[in-house]
Amino acid sequence: MDKGEKDKYELENRNENSINYQAPVMSSDWQFGGANLTSAGMSLVPSGNSLAIGSSCASASVADSFASNLWEHPSNSQNLGFCGINVQNGASSSNAMGIGKSTLTSLRSSVDGPFDMGWNAASSMLKGGFFLPSTTGILPQSLSQFPADSGFIERAARFSSFNGGNFSDMVSPFGMPESMGLYTGGMGLIRGPEDMFAANGMKSVSGVESQKSKLNVTEATRDACLQVENRAKKSPGNDRRSGCLLRANEEAKQGISGNESDEAKFSGQDEPSSLDGAGGEPSAKGLSSKKRKRTLQDAEIDQAKGGQPPTEAEKDGAEDQQKGDQKQTTSVNKTTGKQVSPASHPPKEEYIHVRARRGQATNSHSLAERVRREKISERMKFLQDIVPGCSKVTGKAVMLDEIINYVQSLQRQVEFLSMKLATVNPRMDFNIEGLLAKDIIQSRAGPSSTPGFSPDLSVGYPSLHPSQPGLFQAALPVTGSNTDVIRRSLSSQFTSVTGGLKESNQLSNPWEDELHNVVQMNYGTTAPSDGLNVNGPRPSGNT
Amino acid sequence: MNKYNPPRMNPSSLRSRFATRFLRTLSKINAQKPTSSSSPTEIFRRYRRIKAAADKSMAYSVRSRRTWSRAMLWKLRTRPCGRRSVKTSTIIKSREARKTRHEKQNKNTTTTTTTTTGEDGVVFGVEADELRELVPGGEAMDLYNLLDETAHYIKCLTTQVQVMKKIADFYSP
Repeated sequence: MDKGEKDKYELENRNENSINYQAPVMSSDWQFGGANLTSAGMSLVPSGNSLAIGSSCASASVADSFASNLWEHPSNSQNLGFCGINVQNGASSSNAMGIGKSTLTSLRSSVDGPFDMGWNAASSMLKGGFFLPSTTGILPQSLSQFPADSGFIERAARFSSFNGGNFSDMVSPFGMPESMGLYTGGMGLIRGPEDMFAANGMKSVSGVESQKSKLNVTEATRDACLQVENRAKKSPGNDRRSGCLLRANEEAKQGISGNESDEAKFSGQDEPSSLDGAGGEPSAKGLSSKKRKRTLQDAEIDQAKGGQPPTEAEKDGAEDQQKGDQKQTTSVNKTTGKQVSPASHPPKEEYIHVRARRGQATNSHSLAERVRREKISERMKFLQDIVPGCSKVTGKAVMLDEIINYVQSLQRQVEFLSMKLATVNPRMDFNIEGLLAKDIIQSRAGPSSTPGFSPDLSVGYPSLHPSQPGLFQAALPVTGSNTDVIRRSLSSQFTSVTGGLKESNQLSNPWEDELHNVVQMNYGTTAPSDGLNVNGPRPSGNT
Repeated sequence: MNKYNPPRMNPSSLRSRFATRFLRTLSKINAQKPTSSSSPTEIFRRYRRIKAAADKSMAYSVRSRRTWSRAMLWKLRTRPCGRRSVKTSTIIKSREARKTRHEKQNKNTTTTTTTTTGEDGVVFGVEADELRELVPGGEAMDLYNLLDETAHYIKCLTTQVQVMKKIADFYSP
């Protein structure tokens, strides 16, 4: 059974890898954690395989990482990485699946309680900030540093052993926007997953351990999936989502637990929802519905399996549920971890499932929050590209300040320019048409007209050239009737303005030629004017 | 490439739309004003009118697709003709104020919720308000939409600045 193998791996890896990971990972992770806020996922990559793994997972939760420093925490990344590893292992792009799996195992084994908190716990897990620091010592065997994340540790161990090379693939594409776009599609479905979550919550509330664990797992999976999704972005996102669900199914089949299926469902849902916000995606919805049934079945299986762990999980879960806060979750996780860790080794995987459980009532909230945060971070990234000089800025507050400054400066610039126009305008009345033509030409002319202009030409001809084309065409139809007037005014203008510069005529000629060309093009659409005979409306010719 | 073919801008792009509108209005203003506009008051008045024309042109170019353009158009519409439609505008304003306040409250609650659940919410609390003041019509928007509007507003502002700069350069040799 794969599960058995996995368990073995976990056990072995847990002891070995966890320890190994601890040393290198912790240091590197923490360093990375502090390094980047925005590129949480990125930071993970350099650390190494484990980090890479984590980064892949982190990518999924880029939004989260951006929002919080959790991602920065290496533990989180690791966890995510583990999730990613699992995904890789699963030979599917569904990060969520891997995460779900790992979460299932880790949750079940270690943090039943905290995970009962629900999403908060899961998110805190991913966020890492809470979990790792708070839940230290939960897993003496595994990384002590990842107490609450015992499941993560196990997963990490497993991942380390599996250590697929897919992380690079997972890590590289940071197509957050794309993935977000994908998720936007699923915006509508957000409701679905939330309902599902609520339902799951209900289940857990009812006191069914397995259900709780499932929820926890689901949450963890969701988080993992979300994070992974975020990282992976793009089209793979869709695949991942489905992959997560698929994986969940597979895992469920494997008999890991119904939680996994729940996780898968949730993960699938979460991924889209996290990106879109809250909910789940339509595809995830449908899948989740199917999985729900399976989850129930799995829940039964889980119940059978998790006799002890569920109890502990319940206890912890109850505590967590009460707290129902992400931050609190970490502390809760700590407690639960301690309680749980010594109890269950073999059923560690089950605990992992439990881990994802927590957070039933707060599921929708945290989910919605996460989705919201991801959306906002996506927007912030977009703004970062627009506002110059914001690439180095890290942190939303500073970014916002930069944006505010930029908007203020732009507004002031407009005011200044309008004032300048007010003072300058009086000089030439009929220059408006010329300006129009100029703008038109500016936008269109480009270098083609530059050669004809000597630098001596004042009037700022050179300044017109860099303009972009299109304005010319755009303005022509509008001022179709004025084209000739413009041309005339242009030539006359140039002559007068430039003080009779001979070049002006020459200059205006090429412009007129261009104008002529454009006019010809547009005359077809606009009413053909009488050509050069239009003398009538001059300056006031504009509409 | 012998002939540099500059990328044709979309004739109906924001830039062209704004440029044509603004130039039209500018010419109108220039035609209106008498040549004796050297007095500072006159210049100031022209400046105000030109600025309003610029804003209006920009807002019209965007139509009502954006909240900020709608808010700006509304503001421009009510400001100049404040005498006649003062009452209506006041009523509308009060109504809008109430709505905005209500929305703000909702927004605040949302923000508070955000703050409680996420760290970003807290961070955005102060700056978001500043941004709301800057972006027209941003008072009644949640953070996400506000950022969206800000992005579009920035894009339009840059277009405005570019076109006006070109015009000003053209005018001042």
